[in-house]
Amino acid sequence: MPRTHKILWIATLFSAFAFLGMTVDSLHRMSARTHADQLSAQVVEGKRLWQHYDCNDCHTILGIGAYYAPDVTKSFAQRGEPWLRKFLQNPAAMYPAGRQMPNYHLSGAQIDSLVAYLGWVSRIDTNGWPPAPEGMAPAQGAASAELAGSKVYLAQGCNACHSMQGSGGALAPDLTHVGSRRSKAWILQQLDDPRRNNVQSIMPSFGQLATGDKQQLADYLVSLK
Amino acid sequence: MRYKSQTIAREYLVAALLLFLLQVVFGLLNITKYIWGYDPLLNIIPFNVSRAIHINLLVFWLLLALMGATYYMVADELKTEIYSAKLGRVQLGILLASGVAAIVGYLFQWNFGMPFLEQPTVVKLAIVVAALIFLANIGLTMFKNHHTLTRMTATLLGGMVMLAVMFLFGIPFMDNLSTQYYYWWWVIHLWVEGAWELIAASLVGWALIKVTGVSRQRIEGWVFAEVCLVLLTGVIGTGHHYYWIGTPRYWLWWGAIFSAAEPIPILMMLVDTVRHMLGARTLRTVNTLGLAWLGASAFVHFMGAGVWGFGQTLPQINRWTHGTQITASHGHFAFWGAYGMLAIALMYIILPELSGQSTEHGSKVGFTAFVSMNFSMIFMVMALLIAGIVQVYFQRVLGMEYLQTQGHMRLWYEVVLVAGSVFFVGTLLVLWDLLRLARTLPVGEPIPETEPEAIPGD
Repeated sequence: MPRTHKILWIATLFSAFAFLGMTVDSLHRMSARTHADQLSAQVVEGKRLWQHYDCNDCHTILGIGAYYAPDVTKSFAQRGEPWLRKFLQNPAAMYPAGRQMPNYHLSGAQIDSLVAYLGWVSRIDTNGWPPAPEGMAPAQGAASAELAGSKVYLAQGCNACHSMQGSGGALAPDLTHVGSRRSKAWILQQLDDPRRNNVQSIMPSFGQLATGDKQQLADYLVSLK
Repeated sequence: MRYKSQTIAREYLVAALLLFLLQVVFGLLNITKYIWGYDPLLNIIPFNVSRAIHINLLVFWLLLALMGATYYMVADELKTEIYSAKLGRVQLGILLASGVAAIVGYLFQWNFGMPFLEQPTVVKLAIVVAALIFLANIGLTMFKNHHTLTRMTATLLGGMVMLAVMFLFGIPFMDNLSTQYYYWWWVIHLWVEGAWELIAASLVGWALIKVTGVSRQRIEGWVFAEVCLVLLTGVIGTGHHYYWIGTPRYWLWWGAIFSAAEPIPILMMLVDTVRHMLGARTLRTVNTLGLAWLGASAFVHFMGAGVWGFGQTLPQINRWTHGTQITASHGHFAFWGAYGMLAIALMYIILPELSGQSTEHGSKVGFTAFVSMNFSMIFMVMALLIAGIVQVYFQRVLGMEYLQTQGHMRLWYEVVLVAGSVFFVGTLLVLWDLLRLARTLPVGEPIPETEPEAIPGD
């Protein structure tokens, strides 16, 4: 065996051992970084369901998987528990138009497990991934309540159906100047029970949103004159 | 063909070809789901099922092709019959049955639920049995002929053992998602940037010796160096998958440094292949299409795996591109160049030899397939790349909602559909051409062994 080959061979073996060493160290550190102590039976059951329904072949999680549906790593933090529950019960209620997730007719206990699992996943230390969008940085001069409201608007996926300034869904009315048409009280009522304002409305109720979120969202929408 | 048992290679290769066609069909189904929001098949074959089938068939047909080629190559190198042709057929039967069980199972939510490793555990165990039969069959053939063992075949066996061992890490269910993904990469990454590269390098080496007639010593020296460098960079290079999955921060450094070096051995393979092809003034076997696929494979391997991979391997970039269609662009380009094209090249070399048909002037159909498949793949890869850039900018930089961003990517999905349709036609053509070449002229007695004449300058 020529000398260069011997050196290469030894270096390769050395790198494999180094990799194994780093693996031992990584696994040790990962239990703290992932809060492994919070892996309750319910969380593990949620992971089992996540795998059973092969969610990962549409969604990414930790950025890995298929690219057909949103990444769910931080969905618990971004959407909030009520939204997730409602969505898992009937995906079509939240996104009546466009790309659909099948309704798996999950039981209440299954939804509890999946939500607990997504909650656990959202607390994994991912070294700052995904990055915070620069476009979401606070606009100068915007009132803080309105800014918070715009975040609720995005987080709840209102733009899946409604549009603003030409961007968004086409299923529901354009909201660019909604503040000049509707009062805050009307908007709050619409969030709670859309059919009281219009019996034919297909908009799902957002009555389960936290009161603070509803107020901020209404303030934001009323400000759009 | 010299040895009767080599005919099992044909069965593997033909099965692989048919599965490849099916993979392309499911790919087309996937992209239509991306384009049109309304999916009439939502409750029969939803996207996750058709995607699972698409990527399972990818792995499956490539494995069958590599295994079939291995059976042929080992007999050819060691100048012997395979230990047991019957075992080879049993192994193929188990693999095909496992594949059918897995695919039918997905339709009924019988699913392990990790991408690429969706096969339920029972099916995985059947695959392990098939892998053990394969290793035993190849290992015993080599053991019986250890005095004629070549470095090329030893490397190949090493790759196959590594492939089987790594698969084991994909079997258990782990409570912790981060740990599950930590080991999942041992299968996925250490296959495509480890075991499969070893197998591919030795099969390319063998094919080069066979087709170009360049001296074995020179090629084997190169293959050894390449294989070492693949492992040297690729093993710790797994770290580029450990940036964001709950793993320690130091992987940002280790992953970046080692994976940045990963294109080096691939570049060496390209230079090596081109050098040997140009250096061979007198070809032992004139096989225009075999050579075309082999040479193009080395180039696209470098572009798809090397350049496209390097393009997003550094954490500063990967932070934005991770989990977007840019990864899909890289995946298609790399798999096609490194393994898909190589599998087709090996088919063009092996199938005519088995049937005794002339390969001197590749058929028009074969050339049309070569051109249409490669050009359409480039269009597909570019369209996915642009879709991915749109996604990164709108979704990651501006913070636009996921589904809304998808609407802005639709044009590029349409380009993928058009290119994919051309690719589908190319697949039909290559299938037709290769099945024609595989048609047996009756198998007679083993052809007496004759060494090719020495080539001047060898």
